[in-house]
Amino acid sequence: MTTTAATGPLLEVSGVDVVLGRGGRASLVLSGVDLNVWPGEIVGLVGETGSGKTTLARTIVGLARPRAGRVLFNGREISSLRGAARRRERRSGHIQLVFQDPLRSLDPDLTVGDIVGEGLKIRGDLPAGQIGERVGEALTMVGLTTVLRPQRPGQLSGGQRQRVSIARALAAGPRLLLCDEPVSALDASNRNYILRLLAGLRDRLGLPIVIISHDLSSLAGIADRVVVLYRGRIVEDGPVSQVFTTPRHPYTALLMASAPRVSAHGTQPGRELSVHQLRRTTADPEPPTAPGACVFAARCPFAMAACAVQPPLDPVAGPAGSRWSAACVRHDEWPALARERSPVVAARLPARARS
Amino acid sequence: MPGNPPPDSTLPPGEVLVIEDLDVTVHHGAATALRGISLTVRPGEIVGLVGESGSGKTLTCRAALGVLPPGVAVTQGTITFDGQNVTDLPSRRWQRLHGSRIGAVFQDPAAYLNPNLTVGSQLAEVLRVKRGLRRGQARDKAIELLTAVGLHQARRVVHQIPAELSGGMLQRVMIAIAISCDPDLLIADEATTALDVTIQAEIIELIKDLRDQRGLAVLFVSHDLAVIRELCDRVVVFYAGQVVESGPVQEIIERPRHPYTQALLRVASAGDFQRRDLEVIAGQPPRVGARISGCRFAGRCPAAVDACRAASVPLTRLGPEHEARCVRVDDPALSAASAVLAAGPELASR
Repeated sequence: MTTTAATGPLLEVSGVDVVLGRGGRASLVLSGVDLNVWPGEIVGLVGETGSGKTTLARTIVGLARPRAGRVLFNGREISSLRGAARRRERRSGHIQLVFQDPLRSLDPDLTVGDIVGEGLKIRGDLPAGQIGERVGEALTMVGLTTVLRPQRPGQLSGGQRQRVSIARALAAGPRLLLCDEPVSALDASNRNYILRLLAGLRDRLGLPIVIISHDLSSLAGIADRVVVLYRGRIVEDGPVSQVFTTPRHPYTALLMASAPRVSAHGTQPGRELSVHQLRRTTADPEPPTAPGACVFAARCPFAMAACAVQPPLDPVAGPAGSRWSAACVRHDEWPALARERSPVVAARLPARARS
Repeated sequence: MPGNPPPDSTLPPGEVLVIEDLDVTVHHGAATALRGISLTVRPGEIVGLVGESGSGKTLTCRAALGVLPPGVAVTQGTITFDGQNVTDLPSRRWQRLHGSRIGAVFQDPAAYLNPNLTVGSQLAEVLRVKRGLRRGQARDKAIELLTAVGLHQARRVVHQIPAELSGGMLQRVMIAIAISCDPDLLIADEATTALDVTIQAEIIELIKDLRDQRGLAVLFVSHDLAVIRELCDRVVVFYAGQVVESGPVQEIIERPRHPYTQALLRVASAGDFQRRDLEVIAGQPPRVGARISGCRFAGRCPAAVDACRAASVPLTRLGPEHEARCVRVDDPALSAASAVLAAGPELASR
């Protein structure tokens, strides 16, 4: 669990704007993003397609350059490094990114052993024998036998490929691990295996991990903190136990209500909101559409005039030291308003012929 | 043969799709990928197929659509669509069913749309070819359909090309195309898997609405039991090319009788957002076409006994619609024994 230790955050992302594309096609993908990661914690970064999750990860490892703001690692600014200093930082392997699609991010012509050891070889400060040892250790850490070393990615199952990607990251001896959608392509059993593996790495190595996912419910099992991204802005950031009990941003609540579940609905009466209580209907007043309006206003049933200005990510009241914040001017009011709304479907297009 | 398909050859009225004792071989007959699959879909019913990748869900869909890839063949059993035996239908006759009587939606909508044509023209083309509408009528009908699948700005969307639409919007366009000719059956293969959860929830509602409004029958494939639970009336559980359990969704979720179904349930998203141990199903499924005497799940099943491996296991009828393929299906100790299954391997210890 996160402790409110006196130590500062290992990673500090502050006020980061990222623009992708040029000229007429330029778009602001991240806007004023603040994100801290403390030692030993697992942070779940959630949001829908196009919300900027992957861009944020790429910015942290230095694959995308922020237009504004800074990225600090262990107190040192890494986003402004250029040339040799930047290469040195990248090769140090302090921050490792596990890419989204192992089939596309693993070279199909290399063996598992070569893939895991390639980064170390390029770094060039270890003799071949030691590289081999480190590769073996990394494979063991992800629960793969070294028998797989001569195999190629095409011969492995989806879950095994994902573990090879993680082993490659671990071989570099990282101090922070970022995983981009590590489980989205896997079935439920393999998903749980990978998530448990990551939790185990945190427990045994004290390794802080950021897990990017569009699936909130699987993060509930292992994350300490959850950060919700919507259209390039962080809309909520807090401890999972708080955020998943009483979300303070309507988008977080909508994500939770949308998650499919095997348990019957309504098992927690009074607390659980239905998607229909959180979706805009044509009956809701027009949301503000000014350029600087809240990013979620267009989808928010609770939007009002005050939402014409994007609210900052401000601390909300929670248990002492819980570091919980949300970017919603109505974060105290909307849950009560949501409960007043009908939990069943508001009349959709044509009337339904129910028998 | 394993399984006891209903012996009646005269079809009871009101079954849209009946698959009986179907065997499908792959690699030009070298391996049997589906063994004795039987399932039915009635009008207005949503039937879910669930199982791990490689368990035969998609192959079953492709057989039901008459689009088996080269080297893959039906070697036994029948597929009946609306009373007509379509097992060996020539492809020209299949084309009359595709689009007009049977619609299909797949995981990756972008792959099935022409990236250079507007979605309106692609939808209108189907209406002109399959329903003989004139250009203007087809255009109006296209806008009507796009509105019906929940695209609010249908008049704008018809002029857009696929790259200008999000994944959820494209999936709605695919569903609009699939239902454009009022089909009797919709086959949806992992149709929501690649979508964001908020969009997935909307597509699930859309499919339910279409069922309610049009009496559409749906065969819905997913590897996620939680999605099946949200959408389907009945579920068919696949394991290694066989049906291991089938029945009404609620009954299967509340009282799963096959150890594999029980394991799938334990690893599925509970959706309660509580911290809990994440369980895994130990071991790997057998390779496609592997010859195994007895139960195909026995190798991974902690409840397995000698009888499991002795002979092939038939489906046991447990209720009017509930069947399971397990030797110990009536053994009260089974559930307790199979609970060990998901206790999980020691991570990273070897």
